[in-house]
Amino acid sequence: MSDLDRQIEQLKRCEPLKESEVKALCLKAMEILVEESNVQRVDAPVTICGDIHGQFYDMKELFKVGGDCPKTNYLFLGDFVDRGFYSVETFLLLLALKVRYPDRITLIRGNHESRQITQVYGFYDECLRKYGSVNVWRYCTEIFDFLSLSALIENKIFSVHGGLSPAISTLDQIRTIDRKQEVPHDGAMCDLLWSDPEDVVDGWGLSPRGAGFLFGGNVVTSFNHTNNIDYICRAHQLVMEGYKWMFNKQIVTVWSAPNYCYRCGNVAAILELDENLDSQFRVFDAAPHEARGVPSKKPAPDYFL
Amino acid sequence: MAVWGGATESDLKAAGAEALPDGRSGVRLRGWHIESSRRPILNSLALQEWEEKLGTSHLPEMVFGESSLYLLHEDSGIKLHFNAFDALKGWKQESLPPVEVPAAAKWKFRSKPFQQVILDYDYTFTTPYCGSEAIEPNSEKAISEGGCCSLCWEDCDERIDLAVLSSKEPILFYDEVVLYEDELADNGVSLLTVKVRVMQSCWFLLLRFWLRVDGVLMRLRDTRVYCAFVSDQKAIPVILRESCWREATIQSLSAKGFPSDSASYGDPNLISERLPVIAHKTQRLKVSRSITEGS
Repeated sequence: MSDLDRQIEQLKRCEPLKESEVKALCLKAMEILVEESNVQRVDAPVTICGDIHGQFYDMKELFKVGGDCPKTNYLFLGDFVDRGFYSVETFLLLLALKVRYPDRITLIRGNHESRQITQVYGFYDECLRKYGSVNVWRYCTEIFDFLSLSALIENKIFSVHGGLSPAISTLDQIRTIDRKQEVPHDGAMCDLLWSDPEDVVDGWGLSPRGAGFLFGGNVVTSFNHTNNIDYICRAHQLVMEGYKWMFNKQIVTVWSAPNYCYRCGNVAAILELDENLDSQFRVFDAAPHEARGVPSKKPAPDYFL
Repeated sequence: MAVWGGATESDLKAAGAEALPDGRSGVRLRGWHIESSRRPILNSLALQEWEEKLGTSHLPEMVFGESSLYLLHEDSGIKLHFNAFDALKGWKQESLPPVEVPAAAKWKFRSKPFQQVILDYDYTFTTPYCGSEAIEPNSEKAISEGGCCSLCWEDCDERIDLAVLSSKEPILFYDEVVLYEDELADNGVSLLTVKVRVMQSCWFLLLRFWLRVDGVLMRLRDTRVYCAFVSDQKAIPVILRESCWREATIQSLSAKGFPSDSASYGDPNLISERLPVIAHKTQRLKVSRSITEGS
């Protein structure tokens, strides 16, 4: 068994790698990712997964439902880290699979794959706690800069973490972005990772909180038409039912973190596309409590004042 | 993290309390029935219904619409109730102007004229909610009195007895219920929770609205409610409520030498003292009886 296979087995047990192993893994991953396009080509059949957010044991449920990699070809739409308890193990397992089976798993970048966001929402603290230093966080965030920004399945289904950008009308415009950087605060790259479709918007809208643009149905229609694609598949927003079509099936949100933050009670979904691009959603629940080493229902009482 | 299995049989027995049956979460003691429930977030269909009822097209990302906490004084029928719907009604009524984050200001500047800031609602879901109260209609006494009671909160000088609350009496029932939560699209947190602890001599709860808009401001609206048990279980209970609103901009904190990064403001318990108090009041629950003349 190679070192890499052994590391994958170890990560599947939710045991993190040594710091030196993480460093070596990241170097290998970088060699692969640097070659990928900003609009990475993906062949069908493929199974598309949305946000995971460090919910390692729920990701194992995902693999149970969707099948193991490399037998199943996977596309993950980002937000591997933050919020859950096992961002380190989750991201490293996906990265190790990427290095081992580069043609059977595609990882694209979510808005949480960023230095700034991970310092606020958990991944930074988790690395510090598990390794006693921030080196692993540094290695991982360097890899984040190399992750592709989107994927195109059989030239027909465009996949991205957040959504569209007013600065982008063609896929070629995405291909020209210099992505090897921290997620900027504005511009096309930021929008692809942050924006949301919104029912009440006609055209483009801005949210007062400045979190990406909002785009309406007509924007999606024109983008899909211009680029000759069937629909857009994105993640980024919690959906209680695991997936949600909008704008007359021109865009779908896929959410893959069941019982989000260990308290929402939502189901999750993955989208399976066969060789003809026929789609089937597979909906799944969170891992049972005993399987996941997470505090159970009753909170510890405290003498709050 | 330690897992609490609940109060011990002997603690409950010594206090004359009983846990609720059938796996329900709650306790009965000294004439009170206290019960919490924690349920999943509302699904898309229920969210739509709420949007219609509340007259809004925006709700928090996570609405725990079927989760609640209530405390019922069985003899008088006085019931305090904490739920997301009433809290969101309060949000809708208060309707604060939206807090603008620096990024949004920049975007507005660079955006073309046809691109409008269309979401001009209070996306922070700030609520003045302090809880809901009612007289439970099927309470025996409320009916037998034949009178029509109403409840209201009156300002008072009494204070919640922190000394009693600081003593480490065994906790007979404890729970924390999230009512709603929004991640502000990864620009902070908006969170409404209520937690309760019940001891042999009293119950105490904290309803907390916690808001952090990254890089902009923090807001903490705490409501503490306290009831000390008296020997006569049939007497109208004395219930005190203290509301304390705190707020600070990140800019003002940074001017005082405090850090300005969001990572330093993850836990409201640790930083609440840094936020200046902007409103404070203590109230007592008053029962007014309007018994029909001549009866």
